[in-house]
Amino acid sequence: MFKSFKKTARVLLFAFVIQSAFVNAIFAGDKDSPTGVVAKIIKGKITDEKGQPLAGVTIKVKDSNIGTSTNDVGEFFLDVPEKAVLVISYVGFETKEIEVNAEANFTIQLKQTEDALQGVVVVGYSTKKTKYLSSSVSVVSGDKLRDVTSTQLSSLLQGKAPGVVVSSGSGDPTDGSTILIRGQGSIAAGSGPLIVVDGNIGGTYHTSDIESVTILKDAAATGLYGSRAGNGVLIITTKTGRSGKAKIEFQSAVGFNEATTGNFKLMNTQQLYDYHKTFITPNPAVLNTNTNWWDLAFRKSMTHNYTLSASGGNDKTQYYVSGNYYMEEGTLRANDKTSYSFRTNLAHKLSNKLKLNVLLNSIYIKDNYNPTGDLNGTGGALYQAYTNMPYDSAYNADGTPKDPRTSTWYGRDGHNFLHTMQYNIANARSLNFSGDLNLDYAITKQLSFATYNRVTFTNSNSVTFHDRRSKRGGPNGGELHNRFSYTNVLLSSNRLRYDNSFGAHNISVLAVGEALQSYNDFLATAVKNLPPGRPYASTGTESISNPTGGKSEYSFQKYLAQADYNFANKYFAVASFVRDRSSRFGNNNSSANFYQFGASWIVSSEAFMSSIRPISFLKLRASYGTTGNAEIPDFAALGLYTLAATASYAGIPGAAPSQKPNPDLTWEKQKAANLGLDISFFKRIDLSIDIYQKTASDLLYLKPLPVTAGYLSVYENIGSVRNKGIEFNLTTKNFAGKSFTWETNLNMAFNRNKVIQLNDSAIFSSPGATQPIGLGHDIDEWNMPVWAGVDPANGDPLWEKIITDVDGNKFITYTNNYNSVATAQSRQFLGKSAAPKFTGGITNTLAYKGFSLSAFLNFVYGNYVYNNSRFFFDNDGVYDSYNSTVLAKGWTRWEKPGDIVTHPKPFLGGPAQGRSNQSSSRYLEDGSYIRLRNITLGYDLPGSILSRFKLSTVRVFISGDNLWTGTNYTGTDPEVVLSSGSSTFRYPISRKILFGLNLTF
Amino acid sequence: MNNFKAILLTGVLALGMGACKKSFDPATTIDENDALTTAADIETATIGVYALVRHGNYTLSGHFLKEFPSDEVAQGQISSNDYTNTYRYTHLTTGTHSRLFWTQAYLVVSAANKIIAAIPEDASAAQRQLKGENLFLRAMMHFDLVRVFGRPYTQNNGDNPGVPILKEDLTDEQKLTISRSKVSEVYAFVIEDLLKAADMMTLKKLVFASSFASKQAANALLARVYLYMGDNNNALEFANKVINSGDYSLVQGGAYTNYFKAVADGNKETIFAIHHTKLQDQVLASIGAFYYSGDASGTALAKGTNGWGEVMVSRKYWLALDSTSNDLRLGFIRPYRVNGVLQYNPALSPQVPLYYHIKYSLQEGIITLSSPVYLRIAEMYLIRAEANAKLGSSQLALDDVNLIRQRAALTGAKLHTLASIALAGKSVLDVVLEERWFELAFEGHRAYDLFRNGRSMVRNYPGTHQLNVTPVNINQTVLATDNRVIFFIPETERAKNPNLTQNP
Repeated sequence: MFKSFKKTARVLLFAFVIQSAFVNAIFAGDKDSPTGVVAKIIKGKITDEKGQPLAGVTIKVKDSNIGTSTNDVGEFFLDVPEKAVLVISYVGFETKEIEVNAEANFTIQLKQTEDALQGVVVVGYSTKKTKYLSSSVSVVSGDKLRDVTSTQLSSLLQGKAPGVVVSSGSGDPTDGSTILIRGQGSIAAGSGPLIVVDGNIGGTYHTSDIESVTILKDAAATGLYGSRAGNGVLIITTKTGRSGKAKIEFQSAVGFNEATTGNFKLMNTQQLYDYHKTFITPNPAVLNTNTNWWDLAFRKSMTHNYTLSASGGNDKTQYYVSGNYYMEEGTLRANDKTSYSFRTNLAHKLSNKLKLNVLLNSIYIKDNYNPTGDLNGTGGALYQAYTNMPYDSAYNADGTPKDPRTSTWYGRDGHNFLHTMQYNIANARSLNFSGDLNLDYAITKQLSFATYNRVTFTNSNSVTFHDRRSKRGGPNGGELHNRFSYTNVLLSSNRLRYDNSFGAHNISVLAVGEALQSYNDFLATAVKNLPPGRPYASTGTESISNPTGGKSEYSFQKYLAQADYNFANKYFAVASFVRDRSSRFGNNNSSANFYQFGASWIVSSEAFMSSIRPISFLKLRASYGTTGNAEIPDFAALGLYTLAATASYAGIPGAAPSQKPNPDLTWEKQKAANLGLDISFFKRIDLSIDIYQKTASDLLYLKPLPVTAGYLSVYENIGSVRNKGIEFNLTTKNFAGKSFTWETNLNMAFNRNKVIQLNDSAIFSSPGATQPIGLGHDIDEWNMPVWAGVDPANGDPLWEKIITDVDGNKFITYTNNYNSVATAQSRQFLGKSAAPKFTGGITNTLAYKGFSLSAFLNFVYGNYVYNNSRFFFDNDGVYDSYNSTVLAKGWTRWEKPGDIVTHPKPFLGGPAQGRSNQSSSRYLEDGSYIRLRNITLGYDLPGSILSRFKLSTVRVFISGDNLWTGTNYTGTDPEVVLSSGSSTFRYPISRKILFGLNLTF
Repeated sequence: MNNFKAILLTGVLALGMGACKKSFDPATTIDENDALTTAADIETATIGVYALVRHGNYTLSGHFLKEFPSDEVAQGQISSNDYTNTYRYTHLTTGTHSRLFWTQAYLVVSAANKIIAAIPEDASAAQRQLKGENLFLRAMMHFDLVRVFGRPYTQNNGDNPGVPILKEDLTDEQKLTISRSKVSEVYAFVIEDLLKAADMMTLKKLVFASSFASKQAANALLARVYLYMGDNNNALEFANKVINSGDYSLVQGGAYTNYFKAVADGNKETIFAIHHTKLQDQVLASIGAFYYSGDASGTALAKGTNGWGEVMVSRKYWLALDSTSNDLRLGFIRPYRVNGVLQYNPALSPQVPLYYHIKYSLQEGIITLSSPVYLRIAEMYLIRAEANAKLGSSQLALDDVNLIRQRAALTGAKLHTLASIALAGKSVLDVVLEERWFELAFEGHRAYDLFRNGRSMVRNYPGTHQLNVTPVNINQTVLATDNRVIFFIPETERAKNPNLTQNP
């Protein structure tokens, strides 16, 4: 046995020396020494039902200390006394007892347990069989996730589970996307789901290590996370080792990325010149140059993804160790992401009653940003790709990038990113570590205690360097901005659990006490006057601004109790109560209570159902409960004066009012009800349907104030919003032959949102905004002046102006005066929202012998996107010193009286009355799209070849991400962060082709 | 073994549950209940009010609104920055800079009000000084607001809509629903505050004196406010108070040519300037970045090199100042020449010549750093001159004008006499206003000087104000009665407070 510890220790050494020493120290106390009378030697082989040998199976002589375990090929030898009974046990398999009589040679098959066959799901603080759940939960397995290649979980989840809406604002590999579960239920407080990794809130993970993701959607499931569960919960479970032969896996994928440009086209010199000629007198000399800035800014780039893992163990100890290297180059030049991840997951039975889990993960990430932007990141290569003029040449005669400062430059900003990119740097690095130490102790057969403890550290720093040779760095003789930050999170969760059965009555009770504390501090500096190519603070001679630094802390404490009851595995009920406390809320309202109920009924287990043959499984579910949302800044309730350099004057420290107090500020609360149905037909068609209603009250919102109040805004609980919807998940095994299988999964979710109450009977929470939060409207509904097209008589832009006559009747007139429609009176709700009417995904998986083909489409329908950057490149001459878009299909420009067109007469600077590029419904476009998110063709080499090379599996595949998008949207990419719904200088998503090879030894 | 487990378990438990603190104190902020308790707190909070004045939303956006409608600047190329609308008189009700300026001015007033309310009338001299400073800043903001958003006082004697008057004793409800007071009421409020401020400020700061409000700063602003009202006697009286205080004098020669480059303090010219330290360089968001692109020695370079360099000195101003003279003020203008050839911005036809100026650049050798001057002694002489001209004291008016011209190194025939101006067909007021133009150019005076005197803004030089017709017409004339002499009330503020009426 000690041998296996040494093996474990070697594994541990691979990750962290300290940790291995600790583990060894614990293990050292647990030595068995065999006793008893030796009578005979027996020999045996243990396999699974398919005859595959199992390594690490424990064989023990009943009521003795005699025992051993199987070797790598499943064999064992054991000295046994007379009339011994062997107890053979193995994780994931049913324990078997065998009497030893005359024979000395055994071949024993073990049966997999029901758990392993039927699928269990990690829900909150416990693990349950999927079929016994009372709540709305979706599970996505790691393999299903990883068809798309990315290190962002959100990107992998898109379209994979109903009601989980993922939207990304950028194709930048260093950027994340946002996840929204069942609609926008919060505004100022965060709207992203709570992430739980391996049983505890927070933590780190790398996508290559994910075993499965569980999405908790209704209150019965999320409720245990109380104040932090309002937006749903994502539970990530990382891989663990299985006892048996050591498995070494190598997965690799390499491929190419290319930016998608959708329906978008910019003008070339001739096109722009011809257009300019209609309203200004361009210099004909511009025709000598024709620069395609888009092509200069983007490139064909590469993605690399390699994972090496080892897993295995015996019945006492299981390990999973992995390392991953990921590198993705952005399609925009000088932009990439590199990450290294290591994980060690170790499980060990210290004794029959005490189980230890140690999980260690560290991830290093380096992000390189395109370094051509201004300090705030704007004005860089991406912006220039859209706005630079083809009139300006990018290169000098000798082929070096042209410096816009030393030549005539037509573009307004005088930027050439190619010149800047030679010298400047912008990057961020972070080191994330999390370590978990979990102990499970079986006090009695029914009562168990578990303690889950985690520490997470994050160190990050960023560098922005504007070399003195670059335009941006010129004025200050070079600039260097550094920022360092440190975060730690400590968490301890302690759980007492009682399970018992009384005949057909099964109960389990759970009690949890949990505390979390977070600490963060940071320091940022900016220096100037540095020698060229020396991005190090010591080489600068002066500060640009005062260094900044500070810290922030918060804590949560929670107590919860949950009771589960089921009768004959047919009727289920669950009830829970949570009490939460957070330092983020004012002292008066710092605690809150939440409660949840759920029930379900497996109808198909009833006797009367046995006659209905087509229905192989039928379950009804219902749940109701309350949760909360605490994702707001610390100290949001206090009136504050800022103490910072920004409040200093003439070098003397000062303090300026910065936040209006709101002593009444309280928690945002959600009430959610869910009804669900799971049904299977002929064991081939599985359908889950859920309908839900979520009402969030006391919505937290940073409410804008008239500035005469002394503040721009205040945190308030402004009212209530309701989300209701229906979602379904349908899986059909269309064809299940011996050598050919075909499976289809379709999931869709329909969500409707409505603001149902606002304080003080206000109509808007944010009057004048383009999404003003209006009573009775979708929270993301657009409200703006309505574009009425072009006046055929003179080519002027027109808008709808609402006039009230003497009797108070309102009617619409048309005007070319923008100022007269940008008013409270004339701004209109458009019935168009940034939130989609429905979203979903469809996956088809086909397999024939060793070949497999899967195609995954995701779709978004009925949302409206404000194509904000048309302000710059589709503005009818308002700006002549940016490039322009080629008119999209169906667009026409006014030329002479009588023309019925979409685009007004061009006018330099715009007519005095009103510029056609001002905020109106003109730039609001249908954002619906359907996208072939991934298609993968794979081939598994047949066993005959494999055995020759001592390999257990070899898989080769070719995979394509985002190969096709269907949309009417005129920009480069219809995808936007859905709640904001606005698209500005979009970094389009990449089209990727990847080649992969997976080997298992 | 069992003991070990027990110890481990208890240890883990204790670690987990005991270590959590229940609440935390903010690190870089203070609770407002503790912010104004001691005299030192009030001093710190007053510094915070100045810091709000320094914010770009007041200094930069406010500069655009006050300066760009003038005829001394020329925009060479349409920019997507909203200042373009300010320059071209094509204002939007949703304009960025009018919104930012309005917002910041009222944030300053609100911060000042907290301190004004916290200091009793019978406080110590030091506390009364601070109260006076806050009253001054409050008055300054209201004055700037009323001249940007309200019609000139001289039109209809101030009986036009002005801006909300935000006093320290309003309730929360009143602040949220406040309406616009008349121009005349705002002026009366400003004068009341300034008189009180001048009375309360009895102390003189030893360092950075002109970076802070002072008794003479209050008197100087009063002189300007009375002049804007057409109250020439009071304008004269308060200008004299400042001039005769002996605290200030016109800086001469090299000190004058380097005046705008120097730190705002430590000279006798400045009465009040908005102090920017070396660590508060606004780089591309500085006022100077829009006017000047060049190196730290003051040599002009191509537009966009070290600054945007897209708002030029107008050809009209350049010609009027007489480039052949030895006027020291020509030194503030830096034409961009390559091998002696003047360069142009190629965007328009006709093109705008690249005449940069450096009134907001090069402080302490930093290209885009400056401490914008709000009040300086030269303006007091010119206020006195204008008041005298209007009161009929023509020679006294010309004397002050000549004082300013002599300081600019003009002599002999370049100085005005009653005879010379008659010969040139100009009135005394004409030459006073002309001298204000020459001396105070780019400092946010020109548009007000013309419009409050009922005169038109005549732009007859290349710039983006030109009309989009063939052949191109570069002439733009804006009458003092034009609606767009003032700005729209920000529509976003009207949406939140419907009691704010809009300007036509």
